[in-house]
Amino acid sequence: MRRSWTTVGALAAAFVLQVMLAPHLAIFGVVPNLLLLVVITLAFVEGPSAGAIAGFGAGLLLDLLGTAPVGAWALVLAVTGYTGGMLQENLFAEGWLAPVTVAVIAGLVADTFYLIVLAVVGASPEFWASLVQVVLPRAVYNAMLVLLAYPWLARFLRSDRTMKSFKRVA
Amino acid sequence: MRIGQPEPKRANTTLLVVLVAASLVLLTVYFREGDDGILHSARRATLAVSAPIASAGTAITSPVRAVSSFFEGIGASRERLDALEEQNDELHARLAELEEARQENERLRALVEFAEERNLAKLGARVIQRPLSSWEGVVVIDRGSEDGVEPGMPIIAAQGLVGQVAEVSARSSTVRLITDQQSGVAAMIQSTRALGVMRGSVGGALSLDFVDRTMLPQVGDVVLTSGLGGVYPKGIVVGDVVSVDDRRGELYPRIGVTSRVPVDLLEEVFVLVGSSTETDAGEVE
Repeated sequence: MRRSWTTVGALAAAFVLQVMLAPHLAIFGVVPNLLLLVVITLAFVEGPSAGAIAGFGAGLLLDLLGTAPVGAWALVLAVTGYTGGMLQENLFAEGWLAPVTVAVIAGLVADTFYLIVLAVVGASPEFWASLVQVVLPRAVYNAMLVLLAYPWLARFLRSDRTMKSFKRVA
Repeated sequence: MRIGQPEPKRANTTLLVVLVAASLVLLTVYFREGDDGILHSARRATLAVSAPIASAGTAITSPVRAVSSFFEGIGASRERLDALEEQNDELHARLAELEEARQENERLRALVEFAEERNLAKLGARVIQRPLSSWEGVVVIDRGSEDGVEPGMPIIAAQGLVGQVAEVSARSSTVRLITDQQSGVAAMIQSTRALGVMRGSVGGALSLDFVDRTMLPQVGDVVLTSGLGGVYPKGIVVGDVVSVDDRRGELYPRIGVTSRVPVDLLEEVFVLVGSSTETDAGEVE
């Protein structure tokens, strides 16, 4: 129950920051996806199922904020959260490289999948231009933010809080 | 930086299938329901909730532009220096406020003159939220249905066409910019009078499609709204031609256009409400 409230709190905070701050953090038109950061972190520390549920919720919020068909981001982030959790379990990377690798792969998967969903529902974006101008830069940008936010987010979101030392977390 | 996990978390494939199915149901419902459906209503409610948050974010970040250095050392007594620094801080703050007011005054004056020249029924609005996602060229303004704003109304700035109202809540509205990939504007080239459709893209670049290749423009030619389709009034500046690529083997030439509207810096706009008076496309420099 406590973990559920923590997840809801983290998603609500990410929603507020996405609306309030993210547009002002845009670099060359690339806006970071702060809700994706929460989903990736949760998937990383709690596994595929928690990642999928958080992804669905975060995606629904993004859908309601945007103008594209509702359900597209929910579908994409549910799959991304699940994939992120599976990646963590099968990843050989250690230390800071592990969450950053998951963030880059999950970011690429999320935006590429969203691009495909947009094409399927008839938005017909230019595939290669979207890949170069949105998908790749955003994956790099999100990964940089994960590097900064992951230790704190992970500590807040994981259910096992017996570990007190930050050095042991990071 | 890796979190130590006591035991691996189990993957629940059934859960994923349920969530994917739920997403597909949402997509289906969205396409099948009307504008008064539950998902469209939920989106309007989200817009109503997020608009004040976005407005607060804009207000919080705007003073950063006015920040300047206040620390200058001079050979004076400590008390005198402190008093001068305090006075200096106040004057700097006052100067920043006056500069902000002056710039706003200039922008609004330009907006009013632009709209009055064309006898357009207009409603002033502030941009309270920049694009939230790299996928969508959408901004939010602080005017909604209570002010008479309706979906489909054109939005202009002093430099020209900005976009079209997409979604409306009571006190705020989303505006789809002409640079958005889903935008399409009936346009014409001022010099040749050739008609076409202006389309946006993911990167924000504009292209003028379906132009007759016998009426090719020159780089620098002005592109205006044609008034066809009845969405945008005729004669509003859309942008300037920056490239013309007339390749053989293709049905239509590729014409690149750049908007005159600084979307990233946009702060005030006009919503063209009610009936508007159509005007001839005049000379634009």
